[in-house]
Amino acid sequence: MRGASPHYSAWSLLRARIKGHGYWQPLWTGHKLQEAYDVVIVGAGGHGLATAFHLARDHGIKRIAILEKRLVGYGNVGRNTTIVRSNYLLPENHYFYEDSLRRWATLSRDLNYNVMYSPRGVLDLALSEDEMSKAARRGNAMRLAGIDAELLDRAALKRYCPELDTQRARRFPIVGALLQRRGGTVRHDAVAWGYARAASALGVDIIEDCEVTGVRSTAGMASGVETTRGYVEAERIVFATAGHTAMIGSMLGVPLPIETHLLQAMVTEPIKPLLNTVLVYVYPGHGETYICQSDRGGLVMGGMLDGFPSYTREGRWDRMEDVVEGAVDLLPHIAGCKILRHWAGTNDMTMDGSPIMDRLRYDNVFVNAGWCYGGFKAIPASGAAFATFVATGSAPDLIKAYRLSRFTTGHLLDERGGGPFPVRL
Amino acid sequence: MSHRDTQAATRVGTRIANKSIKFSFDGQEYLAQSGDTAASALLASGVREMGRSVKYRRLRGLLAAGPEEPNALFTVGNFPNIIPNVSAPQLVLRNGMALRSQNRWPSLKWDVASLLQAGGGFLGAGFYYKTFIWPSWKTYEKLIRNLAGLGAAPGVCSLSPPKIMYASCDVLIAGAGPAGLAAALAAARAGANVWLIEREPVVGGELEFEASEIDGLPGAQWIAATLAELARRDVKIFTDTTIMGGSSDLIIAHREAGGIAGNNAVYRMKPRAMVAAMGAVERPIAFVGNDRPGVMLINAAEKFLARYGVKIGHELVLFANHDRVYAAAARLQAGGMRIRAIIDTRLTASETIPLRGDLMRSGIHCLLNTAVLATIGGNRITGVKIAPLDAPHQVRTLACDSVLVSGGWSPATAQLTQSHFIAGAEHGCLELNAALHDGYTAGRTAAQVAGKTDLSGTAPRGHGDLTPSLMPFWRSPSDPIREKYQFVDLQNDVTVADLRAALAEGFNDIEHVKRYTTLGVGTEQGRTSGLLGAGIVAELKGDPLTKVITSRERPPYYPMTLSSLAGLRVNGALRPTRKTALHQWHESNGAVLESMGLWMRPRYYQANGADAFTAGIAEARRVRSIGGIIDSSTLGKIEVAGPDAAAFLDTIYLSKASTIKIGRSKYMVNLREDGMVLDDGIVLRLADDRFLATVSSGHAEHMLSHFEYYCVARHYPTISDIRAVSVTDVTESWSVIAVAGSTSRHALAQVLGNEWLAKIAQLTHMDFAVGLFQGHDIKVLRASFSGELAFELHCRPTHTLALWEGLVAAGLLPYGLEALDILRVEKGYLVSSEINGQTTPFDLGMDGLVKQKNTCVGRELLNRPAFHEASRPRLVGLKAVDGKSKFLAGAQLIGSLAPRPCGHVTSTVYSPTLKEWIGLGLVARDYALGDIVRAHDPLRSGNTRVLLVSPVHLDPSGARMKSMSRAP
Amino acid sequence: MTLATLQTRLTCPFCGPRHLSEFVFHKTVAPPNASPFAEVYERIDNPNLSIEHWQHVRGCRSWLRVHRNPSSGSVLEIHLLGAAI
Repeated sequence: MRGASPHYSAWSLLRARIKGHGYWQPLWTGHKLQEAYDVVIVGAGGHGLATAFHLARDHGIKRIAILEKRLVGYGNVGRNTTIVRSNYLLPENHYFYEDSLRRWATLSRDLNYNVMYSPRGVLDLALSEDEMSKAARRGNAMRLAGIDAELLDRAALKRYCPELDTQRARRFPIVGALLQRRGGTVRHDAVAWGYARAASALGVDIIEDCEVTGVRSTAGMASGVETTRGYVEAERIVFATAGHTAMIGSMLGVPLPIETHLLQAMVTEPIKPLLNTVLVYVYPGHGETYICQSDRGGLVMGGMLDGFPSYTREGRWDRMEDVVEGAVDLLPHIAGCKILRHWAGTNDMTMDGSPIMDRLRYDNVFVNAGWCYGGFKAIPASGAAFATFVATGSAPDLIKAYRLSRFTTGHLLDERGGGPFPVRL
Repeated sequence: MSHRDTQAATRVGTRIANKSIKFSFDGQEYLAQSGDTAASALLASGVREMGRSVKYRRLRGLLAAGPEEPNALFTVGNFPNIIPNVSAPQLVLRNGMALRSQNRWPSLKWDVASLLQAGGGFLGAGFYYKTFIWPSWKTYEKLIRNLAGLGAAPGVCSLSPPKIMYASCDVLIAGAGPAGLAAALAAARAGANVWLIEREPVVGGELEFEASEIDGLPGAQWIAATLAELARRDVKIFTDTTIMGGSSDLIIAHREAGGIAGNNAVYRMKPRAMVAAMGAVERPIAFVGNDRPGVMLINAAEKFLARYGVKIGHELVLFANHDRVYAAAARLQAGGMRIRAIIDTRLTASETIPLRGDLMRSGIHCLLNTAVLATIGGNRITGVKIAPLDAPHQVRTLACDSVLVSGGWSPATAQLTQSHFIAGAEHGCLELNAALHDGYTAGRTAAQVAGKTDLSGTAPRGHGDLTPSLMPFWRSPSDPIREKYQFVDLQNDVTVADLRAALAEGFNDIEHVKRYTTLGVGTEQGRTSGLLGAGIVAELKGDPLTKVITSRERPPYYPMTLSSLAGLRVNGALRPTRKTALHQWHESNGAVLESMGLWMRPRYYQANGADAFTAGIAEARRVRSIGGIIDSSTLGKIEVAGPDAAAFLDTIYLSKASTIKIGRSKYMVNLREDGMVLDDGIVLRLADDRFLATVSSGHAEHMLSHFEYYCVARHYPTISDIRAVSVTDVTESWSVIAVAGSTSRHALAQVLGNEWLAKIAQLTHMDFAVGLFQGHDIKVLRASFSGELAFELHCRPTHTLALWEGLVAAGLLPYGLEALDILRVEKGYLVSSEINGQTTPFDLGMDGLVKQKNTCVGRELLNRPAFHEASRPRLVGLKAVDGKSKFLAGAQLIGSLAPRPCGHVTSTVYSPTLKEWIGLGLVARDYALGDIVRAHDPLRSGNTRVLLVSPVHLDPSGARMKSMSRAP
Repeated sequence: MTLATLQTRLTCPFCGPRHLSEFVFHKTVAPPNASPFAEVYERIDNPNLSIEHWQHVRGCRSWLRVHRNPSSGSVLEIHLLGAAI
């Protein structure tokens, strides 16, 4: 055990108070890059870190390195709207995300790091009877898979979320909602740090400021990666670089069904509790806003993609307006509050809206990508399942459907029915 | 009524006279002068405690005099109509304003949660990541959420939308301090059309208090002269206006006067060039107890004195690391405040400061190489501890009631594009003449970029305070145990101890440190804490500062009111409302309208029943027995014309359009590129080279783009030539009335007139005829979406009402969407519930269309094996096995072959004709018609045994549709 | 202050420079001579040059072939789709 970070508890806080400086240790240690590893994971985001953690803990793999271009948790794991849920329609998706949601519920204890899972409910608002039927289709599919879901009519919605005025004359009246009570939020940065700490304690080398620039191969197998810190030999290579997967595709010479798009999020100044659940509001004329309130008090909101490929992390101004417009329409009383900060992440958007977890080009190269809007909430399940895949060489049932060949065979996982277009015309 | 009024002691000169404004703060009434901000009025009334910090609930006063103020944030108004987190130094008071301090309960003086202070180091950086794990976060969350947050949550908001203005100018100048004014002069003299944007209500920046002379005039007079010249040159000046963001070619500015949302405006500006001269923000120095009320930035004290005539204290100690402190001290002294000492961290002060000698002679301790180590006192400062930096243990105490601090200035970090320039303090020119020169040069260059060539004129020359000659100094020496009282971010209570803890826990990068400690994430957006924190982190790490600063500012640059961002799209204007030509008729005849996309359509007519269910059944029954009419004008209509029209349509429809005869029509289906069914509709051949394609209402815009795309997309293998074809959206050029039922033909003839009798009689299914109605074009298409003998009338919107009313008079009453749904489910016709983007033509029983082997968009990908597996769904009809149970769309179907769902119910209705609930569904192909499955609906407590039947529940031979009419 | 490098105006060959919000992006184009499958699913996602189909949907409705740099947000070239290049 290399990581010396003490066990966290109220007791440890007290001990630290008494002991003073020197009690706390680094959460993860930046070890020296070794020449060779059993598994090299590219990307110290949520998925890479979780995969490393499970490879070390569940599969006893000893020599693991995570190579990170920038910093632990610098990408989308820290640039989302913190929502977790498993309210998916397709069985392949809802079983996977449900596995994740169950792991979220115990993750703080598993990692001994408080990721602040807050099951405050996720409400998908329905604006017509037709949308209620579609919500029912999804909710029933969930319920029959053992996942919690409730269909709220207007009165029940009012009871569950009194902060939402459903009686007001609205351009699009709110008819009801699909509720998943166990859905909610998780403190995003804590996820990266908690996994990094736990992985580091299991002996995983986390190497920051180390960019992978190429893959070397011999005899039809990958043999290692070129990095800005030199060549590293690896028996297995894992790419978990969602947001930059297309570049991995070109590095390996494999065209991928992925476009890289930008997704914005923003937060208001902190205010006292005003919204106690997560609202998802999709309305005609390309309107989309999801909103929740962070534990610090800021109203966190997001909406649609910026609408064209981007690696800039600079959102378009009018998209911020679009998101706020939906928020103010839902909760008119917040109109006098102010947006404080805004950020954007680059999303791997696949051509059916579901992720890709598969080998790529070589038998010993694994790619975990294409997370579209679902990357953050998928982290715990993805880490566990992908580690099994990498360790055993065979994909567990939970992620079999996420193979790349599904586009060729037609086993598409098109949750929204939008087809091969991340942006709708 | 007792007004607190101690202003005589704190106001300077004539400013005492004019007290006209009453306001309240935490329930206590105060007087203010017009123009006062909440901060200046409260200071003048002797109020120093203005808020509590977020984490430890420490009592706080004012630190700053602008939007960077971290502590004095008020909730304005009376609940529920409140605006939280309004920065006190910006809030211009109006009579009767009610202000409340934040983060305290029950009162500012006595706050229960301030006991948390005792926690001290216990609640250090990131403590919440280390605890609250057992039994779960949920147990603690509510309490913590209530403790967190700043202002109260508003209950209502009565703001009106902002004014929105689009503008373009040659040169946009952000900031009207000396550099910005000089830039405006230069650009305007060069003939440029100039806009000057200033965040403050007044222009001039620090000239407001700096002792200055420009072009031979005192600063204030130069400003007046400059404003006069700018007015002559038509420079538009916007005060109270802030640049919020934008990109290289669009700048967003926001006007929010008086520091609070009210008559806001949003400007979207397209300048040809831009000068950013937004100055720099003074930052504090961290020392023990630097958060006590009475510790303030020097700039802020000067501004309160100069603008409001407010003395911020009586006995001051000034603490800085640069030469500017001496001039400030002299001015504050002249303003009537007693300066006890000037503590300068540097080894030497510039010899060129005669002031320093004067100050010393007047009895002020001017100490070099010394630092303020700590403040002393309870809630109020009674003194400071100071010590020489080379002998930090030789502590001395000085009595004072205020500490003014300045650790230098942080420029608005700028990263502008080619046509944009930075000037003045933001550019590092902290000395007046340099700022003027820099501004003038930038203004001139900007004008040049904007195409102006007359570059005569010279920059104003002036002198003011000296160059600061700053020595970097971030924090005073301290015993490590006391570092938890050296505050870096006052709003979030981030201390030097927290920064040290973050580093010790391995958060080495400033980006990590910020996220872990919450440094600079508050409403001050890091203005006072960001660079200070970075400086201290660099010092703790032993790195140069440049290695530490990485993060960049993102828009909005200042907190921006949501109402201004939402703009005009609020309430009913969230989206435009599309109305058909018959909208008014529907409204005045009891229709209950509902949104369908942006359209409003009648769901049912109240005359037929009290609710949608009852009325829908009554309307559907009437259509089956007599007939009825429905306004289908929302139907998308695309006219396709040109020599290649037929060939073009062949490429975007699954079956061929080229085989349609003129005067005939055909039900056709589009595939998406991936082979899924995209849409369906009827295509009419108007002429050899002209078609009218109808598309679903909800899909119309998308389908138009789809059509247009394949007119020009050349990459597609089957569309290799440029088509001589044009595509025109005629949706709103034609209203559509669907006339259905056995009496429809008769009624139609009656309304359209005798000349139509023969024409209509000749129409067989899917024929159409063209002609005139009241002298205007009309098409009569014999087609049915109800299974009855039916016609679609395409007529001009101007004559729709007459036609509709004629039909009503002829005995055909209107029906709405509810009835339409019953009629189409009875017949197994499809809508978006079935054509949901997830279904192939095979799934929907369109194998026959596929077999026609027309090469079209999406066809190649239909061959993928998964599309032909037994688990793929197939469209079926559904009915309850017992013939009476209800089941609903959205139920999942579970059969005998597997425990998991094998499909779902897409649509259900109660059929008044069949007198039972019927539906459509998509069920795995390994089930056959006649099989029984369960419709599981746990969400609505449904569990019904249903029989798989043909999707066509009623009249499978189509006899009704093809029948001849009968008289009513 | 950091201004985005994202270009918010696209120059339509018919309408001149117009704001981004008038245009809708459709897809990044597939490699040349792609198979029907590749045409639909394989996207060239080059961080320095993205070749895309857009429509000036709230304008003249022309379809455009746009070359952009997705790393800076700048627009490099715009042609009418289907016109000879």
